[in-house]
Amino acid sequence: MKIVDSLSRIDRRIIYLMLAIVVIFPLIFRSPLSVRVMPPVEKLYYAIDEIPDDKALILNYEIDPQSQPELDPMGFAVIRHAFQRRIKVLIMCLYVQPLGLAQNALTQITNEFNSVAQTNADSIIYGRDYVYLGWVVSPLLVMLGMGESITNVYKVDYYGNKTDTLPLMAKIKNYNNVGLLVSISSGDPPKWWVEYAQNRFGLRVGAGVTAVSGAEFYPYLQTGQFSGLMVGMKGAAEYEEMVEEKLGIKIRRRASEALSSLTYAHLVLIAFIIIGNIGFFIKRRQK
Amino acid sequence: MKRTFPLILVFVFGILGIIPFISPHPTIQGNDEFLRNNLLRIIAAFALVLGLGSLLKVHTDKIKRKMQNWQYSWVLIITFLVTSIIGLFGGIEGDGILPTRIGSFQFDIWTIYWHTEVPLGSTMFALLAFFMASAAYRAFRARSTEATLLLTAAFIVMLGVLPLGNSISPHLPSFAQWIMDVPNVAAQRGILIGVAFGMLATALKIILGIERNWLGGGGAE
Repeated sequence: MKIVDSLSRIDRRIIYLMLAIVVIFPLIFRSPLSVRVMPPVEKLYYAIDEIPDDKALILNYEIDPQSQPELDPMGFAVIRHAFQRRIKVLIMCLYVQPLGLAQNALTQITNEFNSVAQTNADSIIYGRDYVYLGWVVSPLLVMLGMGESITNVYKVDYYGNKTDTLPLMAKIKNYNNVGLLVSISSGDPPKWWVEYAQNRFGLRVGAGVTAVSGAEFYPYLQTGQFSGLMVGMKGAAEYEEMVEEKLGIKIRRRASEALSSLTYAHLVLIAFIIIGNIGFFIKRRQK
Repeated sequence: MKRTFPLILVFVFGILGIIPFISPHPTIQGNDEFLRNNLLRIIAAFALVLGLGSLLKVHTDKIKRKMQNWQYSWVLIITFLVTSIIGLFGGIEGDGILPTRIGSFQFDIWTIYWHTEVPLGSTMFALLAFFMASAAYRAFRARSTEATLLLTAAFIVMLGVLPLGNSISPHLPSFAQWIMDVPNVAAQRGILIGVAFGMLATALKIILGIERNWLGGGGAE
């Protein structure tokens, strides 16, 4: 009876300890795992890959510190993909919190590319290949306003340059010059882009979301309102896999590394749920 | 008048907000563009100030009345004031008029962001995994057929999304994806449609002045 009781009443500190062990150790002894790429991520990859030369990709970098481990690898992988394919990129945020993380991603990736560039044409140059628009108040006004004129909404970029003086912005006026918008967020912004920018201006939208909120975004993928979807760490790892396999970019894959932790954490969770249910069934039978 | 004027404003601007989504007429689109780019942006800036003022008022009241956990309100007020002063006068990377460095100790907004906000935010979200694990262990019991189905679906998705799932069976990830694509979408769509109708009804009630709770309860007409 005591054993049955203990099966269904395991101290929460034991659960915490087990989880901490299986999460921390694989992160210390890193071993990236390969994943099978599923259709939602594959669709997003090709939607970005097929952006024509005269159109740009807008990356709505809505990644805050809370969701950074899960979403930042998505942002990195998408930027690397776009830079490698020489797709013009505009990066913008709807809230203040992600600004620092977006700048960090841009600095790191441009350094990666420029450290191996041989010529000016090979390099990733600010204003020519990408523009960091930054943030202006408020999300709805930005989404609707950019459909008319991007430089009118973002009169200056994140660094304080007048946007209408940047060479890239002379070609990218509004959504007519945008091939795809990818919104990476832990909240509702991907839906808002569909509701406001896609419904009114016909903008194509792709999304990257956290695993916790992933389920609620699938209807948009099924209807074709999303051109592709990355969900959680697994989605990020799938995109990293595509970038390495198709573009030959061999670089540290943070989401793929974290998959070991995720695997063991899921197994521990399943084990505890099974143990709890065994205790529950034995008790029910005894009653 | 105190109540009628806001109601008229909400009716007029509510209708003005709907029409541009229906009519592409240049006059309507032009008005909409003016409202959004000029009027709404100014209101949003005022709302921000109002919001911050309200936040400070709530916490100063909490301290005055010594309400539960009032000590934490001091933390909020002090950090709010300190970061505001540093942000306004110290610049993002210490390039403002206020000195943001004492010896090798830096405290500009960029440093505060990277060394306080990022670790604190990450820590908060990381704790979620532990609470979820504990809650799943306690709550996930196969008490009925529905609960058993939910549990089975959860196991399939949890294993299917991992590389391990593919090693168990190449069909497992596809099955997990099918669960997300079909039964999940069916349920989500039902919820979405229900929420959309609810929002539509609430919006109409507010625009037409049937729902008036947003006006607040105090004061006579």
